[in-house]
Amino acid sequence: MRRKRGFSMERKKAIWGWIFVIPSLIFFSAFSFYPIINAFIESFFNRNLLSLRPPRFVGWDNYTYLFRSRDFWLSVQNTAIFTVGTFVPLVAFSLLLAVCIMSISRLRRFFQLSLYAPAVLSSVVAALIWLLIFDPRGLANQGMNALLGTTGVNYKWLSDTNMLRLSRIIVYFWKYIGYFTVLFVSGIGAIPYSLTEAALIDGANRWQLFWRITFPLLKPTTLLVSVMTMIQCLKTFSTQYLFSTAGAPTRPINVITLSIYNTAIKDYRIGRATAMSILLFVVMFLFTWVQLRLSRTEEVTFM
Amino acid sequence: MHKTRSWYLGKASNGVMWLILIAACVLVLIPLAFMFTASAMPARDILRLPYPWIPKGIHWPNYWNGIRGPEGDFIFLRNALNSLIVAGSVAFFTVLLSAVTGYGLAKFKFKGRNLVFMLIMATMMIPFEAIMIPLYMVAMRMGLQDTYAGLILPFLANAFGVFLMRQFLITFPDEILDAARIDGAGEIRIFSSIVLPASGPAVATLAILAFRAQWDSLLWPLLVVQSDEMKTIPLYITRYMAETHSDEGIMMAVAVLASLPMIILFLTLSKYFVSKEGLTSATKG
Repeated sequence: MRRKRGFSMERKKAIWGWIFVIPSLIFFSAFSFYPIINAFIESFFNRNLLSLRPPRFVGWDNYTYLFRSRDFWLSVQNTAIFTVGTFVPLVAFSLLLAVCIMSISRLRRFFQLSLYAPAVLSSVVAALIWLLIFDPRGLANQGMNALLGTTGVNYKWLSDTNMLRLSRIIVYFWKYIGYFTVLFVSGIGAIPYSLTEAALIDGANRWQLFWRITFPLLKPTTLLVSVMTMIQCLKTFSTQYLFSTAGAPTRPINVITLSIYNTAIKDYRIGRATAMSILLFVVMFLFTWVQLRLSRTEEVTFM
Repeated sequence: MHKTRSWYLGKASNGVMWLILIAACVLVLIPLAFMFTASAMPARDILRLPYPWIPKGIHWPNYWNGIRGPEGDFIFLRNALNSLIVAGSVAFFTVLLSAVTGYGLAKFKFKGRNLVFMLIMATMMIPFEAIMIPLYMVAMRMGLQDTYAGLILPFLANAFGVFLMRQFLITFPDEILDAARIDGAGEIRIFSSIVLPASGPAVATLAILAFRAQWDSLLWPLLVVQSDEMKTIPLYITRYMAETHSDEGIMMAVAVLASLPMIILFLTLSKYFVSKEGLTSATKG
């Protein structure tokens, strides 16, 4: 009798387990699994958003078209320039600032919060602010002129190809520097003080301390932050979209996501856009996989 | 904490460190100061050389016209309400769904549990940007264009949220749950009156993350929304950017208005913004 009851109790719990999980599964199926499977299928068809004809199977045509398209490679190049140009300085400077914060004994929280403040704004607001700063009469030109001792030079932040690429990197760098600094601060904070103390007793100076103790122990954090930044940069959209909406030339900042958006919404070429999405997915999948591997190793404790 | 206090205090002075930090803070805060000061100035002052920095009183027409909108129909208020509805509902239902699922995965044994967990975690590998076009097609087929449901539904299933809630609840003592069962409480009551109230910190972190992600969201509303009435604040702002002769003072006033909820949240709940869970997850949004 008792045995039977125990069994039914277990069964009951299993049923409740499913009841709790099923709502989520329905949502994940509808808005994650189905779209990604659908994307793979659509990328082999030539669906046009406006055309009434049923989409035709075109095999690899969408992909071969992309690989031959100059515009596609330009958007790949733009994304690559942005990603490398952003993540290298971002990681280097946030590491530097984190070490500075950990070196001082007062106002640590104040500096962290101040540096983090821009991350609170939405990317649309960030783009709006910088649009005015990069105006020919704006603060960017005033600052550069003061710095270089020139007068009235227009640095063409939003019209020159290379300056435009630099401008969007500045916006991104500004928005996320504090965020990554905070990540590094918690990374450094996790290093046991006993290690630092031992090094100091052995007479290490600050320089040695950083390169021999802090940096090697921070390597997992650094790697993780780097990959995270790269993933973020690969899917950058807002600043580029808004700058081009505001009248800046689109070609130098036509990144992949912007290109997907325009191909689907302005040119109505769904098949081609999904093929691009799949290529983006594959690249980001690899990066995310690396990130997950790294975040697992990051949990390795120090010694 | 006091142990890390003397971190790095070598013999050299800290002067350089302080200098770097102060310089970095000033540089980072200048654009923010620009936003606030410019929002209080008439447009002719904003692009004057050099920038005057200190406004002569607050130029209220900026804010008034920002709220009135380019066509004078106060559409800003409607758009702000849309943003609140969308971000609020996503935050509420994401928390609920993640908590329910996380609880189911943490505290109930059933066949296929690990498979379910792995499937959900696998969706973290699918970036939104890669599925937005197929998702847009799904939304169109379901008739979700230009509706609140279209803006809300795709974001309720949140793999990170499930992960966070599961990790949080896995340490929840089974004895309490079993005691409640013996007392005759139903499973739903146990969840709503014991488990959920005990999940405060995880719930707060997740709610803020979800709210922020939707408040800032541009790409998805851009795809789904068509009418001015259904626009959210980011889309309202893009209207100003698309027009060549927008008044700079109004633009900055709108920027301040759009940022106020986040600034208030940040100032009151900064610990949830600058917490490690919040940070690592924000990138997944």
